[in-house]
Amino acid sequence: MTILEARHLAKSYQDSDRRIEVLKDANLLVNKGDLICITGKSGCGKSTLLHMLGLLDNPDQGKVLIEGKEVSSSSKEAPQIRNRDLGFVFQFHYLVEDLTAVENVALPLLIAGHSKSTSLAKAAELLSGFGLEERLNHYSNQLSGGEQQRVSLARALINKPKVVLADEPTGNLDPEKSAEIWETILRLNRELEQAFVVITHDREQARLASITYELEHGVLSPVNP
Amino acid sequence: MRFSFVFMVLGIVLSVGILSAGLNLFAGYERTLKAVLLDSFAHISISETDSYLSRHKADQLIPKLEAMPEVQSVSPTETFSAMVNKDGEVHGALIRGYDFKRPFPYRKYIRKGEPSLDSGSVYIGHYMASELGLEVGDSLKVVYPQLNRVSALGIFPGEYFFRVAGIYRSGYYEYDRSAVIMTLEDAINVIMVPGYISNIELKLKPESVGAAGKLAKELEATYPELVAQAWTQNNDSLFRLIAMEKWLIFIIFSFLVLIAGLNVVSAVVTIMYDKKNEIAVLKTLGAGLNSIRGLIFYRIALVGIAAIILGQIFGWILSLLIINQSWYSLKGDVYFIDQLTIYVSPFNQVAIFVVSACLILICVRLPLRRINRMEIIELIRNP
Ligand SMILES: Nc1ncnc2c1ncn2[C@@H]1O[C@H](COP(=O)(O)OP(=O)(O)O)[C@@H](O)[C@H]1O
Ligand SMILES: [Mg+2]
Repeated sequence: MTILEARHLAKSYQDSDRRIEVLKDANLLVNKGDLICITGKSGCGKSTLLHMLGLLDNPDQGKVLIEGKEVSSSSKEAPQIRNRDLGFVFQFHYLVEDLTAVENVALPLLIAGHSKSTSLAKAAELLSGFGLEERLNHYSNQLSGGEQQRVSLARALINKPKVVLADEPTGNLDPEKSAEIWETILRLNRELEQAFVVITHDREQARLASITYELEHGVLSPVNP
Repeated sequence: MRFSFVFMVLGIVLSVGILSAGLNLFAGYERTLKAVLLDSFAHISISETDSYLSRHKADQLIPKLEAMPEVQSVSPTETFSAMVNKDGEVHGALIRGYDFKRPFPYRKYIRKGEPSLDSGSVYIGHYMASELGLEVGDSLKVVYPQLNRVSALGIFPGEYFFRVAGIYRSGYYEYDRSAVIMTLEDAINVIMVPGYISNIELKLKPESVGAAGKLAKELEATYPELVAQAWTQNNDSLFRLIAMEKWLIFIIFSFLVLIAGLNVVSAVVTIMYDKKNEIAVLKTLGAGLNSIRGLIFYRIALVGIAAIILGQIFGWILSLLIINQSWYSLKGDVYFIDQLTIYVSPFNQVAIFVVSACLILICVRLPLRRINRMEIIELIRNP
């Protein structure tokens, strides 16, 4: 079953005198249970692609479909789709500094309109499953980089999204922490059939994905394992 | 962020404080003036159309007036201008003669001296006493020029000596400066019109004071040959002027709050840019623009409202400080009273709160509309 689909995405930026065509004709299919990795050189447009998949930005051409339905980032339902159907993990964890770990994880539930007590209870449960039961009430600056990224991952998962979009989630971590995060992603994919689209530089990681694409010259092409 | 926030709060507290202090003082002035005028004047003054009132007629009238349910006291009086003289110093005086066998309506204003007057003694105004250096027990010369004693050398003024029996102080500056109160018989003696008085003063019961104008008209209808003047007739335009000035103060000082509102705008903008990452995260997680705006609005608005209340308290303290200082007092000859008082009117306080809150909340709301222009992508790309 196709959850997320990108058709003929094109995007270019005007850079002073020159036009940079970041995406030309990017196509992507994400099915339930997929773990898709996207690799590519720095600056080739991976983040740009992910922002479009996540309805954070509009493509110049082409369309994004969620469960077969075309949606645009500027549409009315986009916030609700981002909240319910999509999860985000960025390279820089982007936790809200004024909130504790458990409050950060509870945010998507609160935004969805759940009560504070149930949101916090669910968030605490999920964080405990990630081995962070000792860190629930720590603020983000009291957490290590790996812990922060695990909190981000928990926040991306709390609303049971159809697909989690992760932009170099381990890019800022040392190899040990990086492996930990990656193992968690693999486990969630295996046990819960959670779909992921992960941008990574790490060839080793990419090898474990169900499908790996390389983004080059604005086009996504599958990499044979 | 802390810095602009502190200035925002300070600006609100100061401006609301000044607005509130201004109104407290003005309302105090209005109230005191009203009370003083109400107390130091006859509520209704009855006189003959264009001559003196015969005592015979007054004696017939008084019991009828006393029988009216609205009337508290009736005083036949003799009022005229004269001069007083102490060791060569001359001072204008308003002589007011009262019948001390009847209740004296201004007893509470006699601050020093004897509770009642006999023939030959007077109460004099507080400022007259201090200007002429008079104390209770001193003697005072009242000078009244009498036309029927004209001689070849000019007008011979009648001169009468009185003993100061007490000091009168009502708060109404003009009276405190010029009043000389004596017995009715002495006053009649001074102007030498035996058998006549100038007018009858009515004091009304507190609940009927507001109806003085209506009552005066009724009296004139009943006694067409008499003139009945209500206290409101003389002071109506004064009170209307004061009410208008109060509104002017309110409007002008509200502009101060608006200026404080500019601080609020800049504080909100600072907070928005301070929190742009958080705003981007919330947008990414699917929060609607309105809920993000609401979140920020709610927090700042709460602080703003607290600052307004603090400002009202500050205004109250400020007005207390102003009435308790000694280097400035009202000029009595301009403002009728010389005592600064405050009145914290609940109506004014509510008006201040509502107007300030509206202004401040608009100033919080306004910059928050920019939030949708802060692109998420920009914020996520450039942490
Ligand atoms: N707002 C923008 N204006 C101009 N150029 C941009 C803008 N956003 C991204 N780019 C350019 O698009 C290219 C792709 O960026 P990005 O998607 O972040 O690459 P990657 O994530 O693969 O490193 C880069 O060359 C970048 O400079
Ligand atoms: Mg990138």
